[in-house]
Amino acid sequence: MKILFSIGLAALLAAPANAALKWEKTELDLHPSFSDKEAIGRFKYENTGTTTIKVTGVHTSCGCTVASLEKKEVAPGEKGEITATFKIGNRTGAQQKTVTVQTDDPSNPTTVLTLKAVIPALLEVQPTFVYWDNSKPLEAKTISIKAAKDAPVTKVTVNSSDPLITTKVEPGASPKEWKLSVLPKDSQPRTSTLTIQPDYPEAQPKLYYASVRVTNAPR
Amino acid sequence: MQSSIIRQILILAGLALLPAIGQALYFRDQVSWQSPVPASEMVAVAQARSWGNQALWVDARPDEEFVQEHVPGALQLNEDRWDELLPQMLAVWSPDKRVVVYCGSQSCGSSREVARRLRKEAQLPNVFVLTGGWQEWRKGNR
Repeated sequence: MKILFSIGLAALLAAPANAALKWEKTELDLHPSFSDKEAIGRFKYENTGTTTIKVTGVHTSCGCTVASLEKKEVAPGEKGEITATFKIGNRTGAQQKTVTVQTDDPSNPTTVLTLKAVIPALLEVQPTFVYWDNSKPLEAKTISIKAAKDAPVTKVTVNSSDPLITTKVEPGASPKEWKLSVLPKDSQPRTSTLTIQPDYPEAQPKLYYASVRVTNAPR
Repeated sequence: MQSSIIRQILILAGLALLPAIGQALYFRDQVSWQSPVPASEMVAVAQARSWGNQALWVDARPDEEFVQEHVPGALQLNEDRWDELLPQMLAVWSPDKRVVVYCGSQSCGSSREVARRLRKEAQLPNVFVLTGGWQEWRKGNR
């Protein structure tokens, strides 16, 4: 039992000392909606020490995240926050971005702040690319379109940038699923973009895209 | 004495395992934030270069880094402008190509994410992530 006691005591002694710049949370879970273009996290801190702390550097893990600092010097007892703005762009799914804060506090010179977000996709289009090798017979290919469970999408419309690529939208297995049938009218090499438009949000529907190509046979 | 030490080690190991099992059960339905890339989907600089014209280099870094410098002939495809850049990349792609995606360094995640979307959403075959990214490519070109 002496060994157990020694290990327990060592674990207690090894616990990190209380850093002067105390963060309320170093990890934030964000929940952006379908239409959000950015997700913002606010990391609050307080200088619980007795000396002023200088923030010497703030770096983000991705060009898509911008961190802004209220003050570079934090006096004892002072509170503040770092705002991290994550530009969603065309991202979907689970995203994790970090902000690294460096200070002149010798007990805790580097703190990594983490933003986590699951970007909801209004529509799931799969595959987003169909192609034909024109040495083979051209047959229609199907693209599956599914609306998110909680999205009030009832209809999708599809436009092709090339009129010689024909499209047809048919109902899928459930009211929130559709089958998009795509077929080129001839076997000439061509490239087209299909624009898929849901009927939600009504004022400014988010557009989705699929690419279509007819290629020459590989040499 | 020896059996007592072994018993204590086993007790400690068992105690350490309990929270891990609990966490694994509790978070079993949670989102995975960092998906590892299988070794078969990674490629080293030397091997990718040996593919010559068969390699289609894809730069997953932000616009400003791509503009500064990039692998000669690389196409840009990042998630900031995915909808705009993907059709441009697909217009150049052909079934015999091997797609090599890179970002800034080993620690950046954007090349993995771009490669994942090319495989899953566009359903492209032969998509690889460059080990070490742009940093590693530059080392071999100094």
